[in-house]
Amino acid sequence: MAREVAIVSFAQTPSIYGVTETESQLLFPVIAEAIERSGIPRKEIGFTCSGSADYLAGASFAFVGNLEATGAWPPISESHVEMDGAWALYEAWVRLQHGDVDTALVFSSGISSRGDMREVLCLQNDPYYLMPLWADHVSLAALQARALLDTGKVTEADLAEVAARSRRAATGNSMAQVAGDVTAEAMSAEPYVVAPLRAGDCPPVSDGAAAMVLVAGDRARDVCERPAWIRGIDHRIEPHYPGVRDLTTSRSTRLAAEHVGVGDAPVEVAELSATFSHEELILRDALGLADDVEVNPSGGALAANPLMVTGLIRIGEAFRQIHDHGRTRTLGHATSGPCLQQNLVCVLEGDR
Amino acid sequence: MAEAPQEEGGPVRFMKQHIALDYRVHVSPLAARFGEQLRGGQIVGSRCPRCGLVYVPTRAFCPMCTVAMGKQDETPLPDRGTVTSFTILTPIQYHGQKEREDYALASILIDGADGTVGQQRLCEIPLDEVRTGMRVEAVWAPEDERTGEPGDRGYGFGDALRGWRPTGEPDVPADAYAEHVL
Repeated sequence: MAREVAIVSFAQTPSIYGVTETESQLLFPVIAEAIERSGIPRKEIGFTCSGSADYLAGASFAFVGNLEATGAWPPISESHVEMDGAWALYEAWVRLQHGDVDTALVFSSGISSRGDMREVLCLQNDPYYLMPLWADHVSLAALQARALLDTGKVTEADLAEVAARSRRAATGNSMAQVAGDVTAEAMSAEPYVVAPLRAGDCPPVSDGAAAMVLVAGDRARDVCERPAWIRGIDHRIEPHYPGVRDLTTSRSTRLAAEHVGVGDAPVEVAELSATFSHEELILRDALGLADDVEVNPSGGALAANPLMVTGLIRIGEAFRQIHDHGRTRTLGHATSGPCLQQNLVCVLEGDR
Repeated sequence: MAEAPQEEGGPVRFMKQHIALDYRVHVSPLAARFGEQLRGGQIVGSRCPRCGLVYVPTRAFCPMCTVAMGKQDETPLPDRGTVTSFTILTPIQYHGQKEREDYALASILIDGADGTVGQQRLCEIPLDEVRTGMRVEAVWAPEDERTGEPGDRGYGFGDALRGWRPTGEPDVPADAYAEHVL
């Protein structure tokens, strides 16, 4: 039986292109806000875990400087993942299972605008076959979208519908980057970036940061009026080489969803890291979401995609649905690698 | 590195793969201001309004107290200090290496600051005479050669300083800077 752990606070920067601050300067107010909202004194935080990528920063060990924003003196217990902050959340959750500490700070940051993501993300491919081809992530996503269309289960119009709905939803999210009252027809008229993906099917390049505080046990109810309990969190990975996978489905998401019991009770809201429109359709299917589940009311990753932060924001949005809007069961999803290679699913519940 | 042998017409055993990524990094407003002050010949630090520690270059917040710092917390500092640690480097001649001779980089505790400035070039001194506790002063580049670019993403002195040279003052005893080495 897992120890009960809840998210009690969340904070993020708006997602924008081309921030002038450093990553630690971006993080400083966000971490302070998350800690202040948590009601936990900074010095009492038992474990800190962060997510970022030196390839985005363009400098080795860039993540070490980010720690300055935590006030790491006297020395703190801390760890880092070279991944989206959702995986930092996973590590913090595991750490809290040990039982000797009750509180954790999770944060992540990324400034994608410094580099060309269609070059930088090539380096996540295997170094022998795909890397020398500079197979960029948009082109690989387009291959996946094409494979999905070829099944006949979805059409380009379905992709445009996802693209338009995401932008319309984002008009209610002041942290989003791309928002507008647009129609699927308008999205269908956008030019192809890499066919069959049109401009509206692809995410913006975003910079941002986010932070979250976790508390174990009854103390979560003491410090937070409506904590969001982590009922299940799991992540699964598929082979590195996209050519050996069935790209039209997401087995890793399906497995993770089974392990956390997504289907055990109705989900009200799902925040999915679908960074391309077709990914939402694949994920929805793999998660087994019912038709009435509200997907990405924040606008999702198509409206703002700060790499290394997008997944943590999804779980933060799932938290806000419980904490701010009184929902009782929500889901956050994060992904990593090309074509949904690795997926994390987190089910949150509010007290009934 | 020596080229690995590869038989003409035989199977490919080695493949060269040069990877270059370009980044465009904004100079933060804070670092830009520090760079402008350097161009004017002034080193500036930040004094934490809570704990009083002085950081150089300036910072947006005190990493010890997590208190924001701004222009009102700036404090001018002299261009003199003490070597607290150093390294003698022998440059390996890799592709792009511009250094040819051995040289010394040091951490310098500027007078009035609590944290050192790292990776500072020492000049006008034989390498076997470099030592901790040595008093040094900044060697400024001519004014028209300072671009105001703070260098190293805002953590250095850019092209405003050529390096640091001995002042000839007596060495400082180790216990005077023991808490400020890194």
